[in-house]
Amino acid sequence: MALKTEQKNGLMVCHIDGEIDINTAPDLKRAFDKLLSKKELKIVINLTKVTYVDSSGLATLVEILKNMRAYGGKMRLTNLSPKIKSLFEITKLEKLFDIKASEEEAISTFV
Amino acid sequence: MSPGMINLGRSGSLRNSKSGNKTIILKVPSEIKQIKKVSSGILDSLASQNIDEAALFDIRLCVEEAVRNAIVHGNHCDKRLSVTVSYWIEEGSFIIEVEDEGKGFDHKYLPDPTDEGNMLRNHGRGVYLIKRLMNEVQYNDTGNKVRMVKRIEQ
Repeated sequence: MALKTEQKNGLMVCHIDGEIDINTAPDLKRAFDKLLSKKELKIVINLTKVTYVDSSGLATLVEILKNMRAYGGKMRLTNLSPKIKSLFEITKLEKLFDIKASEEEAISTFV
Repeated sequence: MSPGMINLGRSGSLRNSKSGNKTIILKVPSEIKQIKKVSSGILDSLASQNIDEAALFDIRLCVEEAVRNAIVHGNHCDKRLSVTVSYWIEEGSFIIEVEDEGKGFDHKYLPDPTDEGNMLRNHGRGVYLIKRLMNEVQYNDTGNKVRMVKRIEQ
C-alpha cells in the first residue's frame, strides 16, 4: 500500500495504491494522521488503484473521516471499483461518505 | 502427496467429504500474519475452478474476516491456541469452516453496524459482511465455529 498526495485546484488529492486491509490499514492511518495534523480542509481520496478493502480498511476510512470532521474538514472518495463500491453500499457507508465517480467531478464540485 | 491433493502447509492434512470431494484442513497458530497465508492458499487452490472475480473477492474477504475474528476475538492472539480451517467444494458451492479454541460468542446479539448510531464506529463490520456476502452462514451453539457457503456455479 502506498499513498501519494498532490495539490489540485486548492485542495489535496490523495492516491492510494494497493490493498487496505488489516495489514496495511495501520500504515494508512498513520499517514493520514500526519496529513490531517495540517488541518487540510478539503481532501479527495482517489481509490482507482485500490483493489481490495476489508473491514479494517473500511474502519480506517471511517476513522479518517471522523478525524477530518472534528476540525471541520471535508473528504470525498472517488473512483471506487464496482466491488469496493458494493461494500460501501452493503454497509451503508455510502450514506456517510461523499462518493463521486471521478476525481474531476469530486474536485470541480467541491464547495 | 497423492495427485489432486493440495497441501497448504506443514500442518495441512486431507480428508474426504461425504460427496468424495477433497477437503483441506489447515491448523494455524493465532497470529495476524496467518490471515493472509490462509486466504492466499485457499485462493491458489481455487484458481483452477473458473470462479468469477466477484465471487473470489467475496470468498477472500469472508475467509480473512472469519480467520481474523477467530485469531483476535476467539483466541485473543494467543499463539499457543490454534485456528482450524476446513474447506471443500460440494455441489457447486465452496464450503469453509473456521473454528477457534475460544469461548465463542452469540452472533445474534452483535450490534447492527448499519444502524445510524453505529455508522461511525471503527469496528463491528466483519461478521455483518460475512452474512451479507456468503450464501449461507451458520455458527455452532458455542459460537466458536462458523460454517460459510458460497455458490460458485450459477
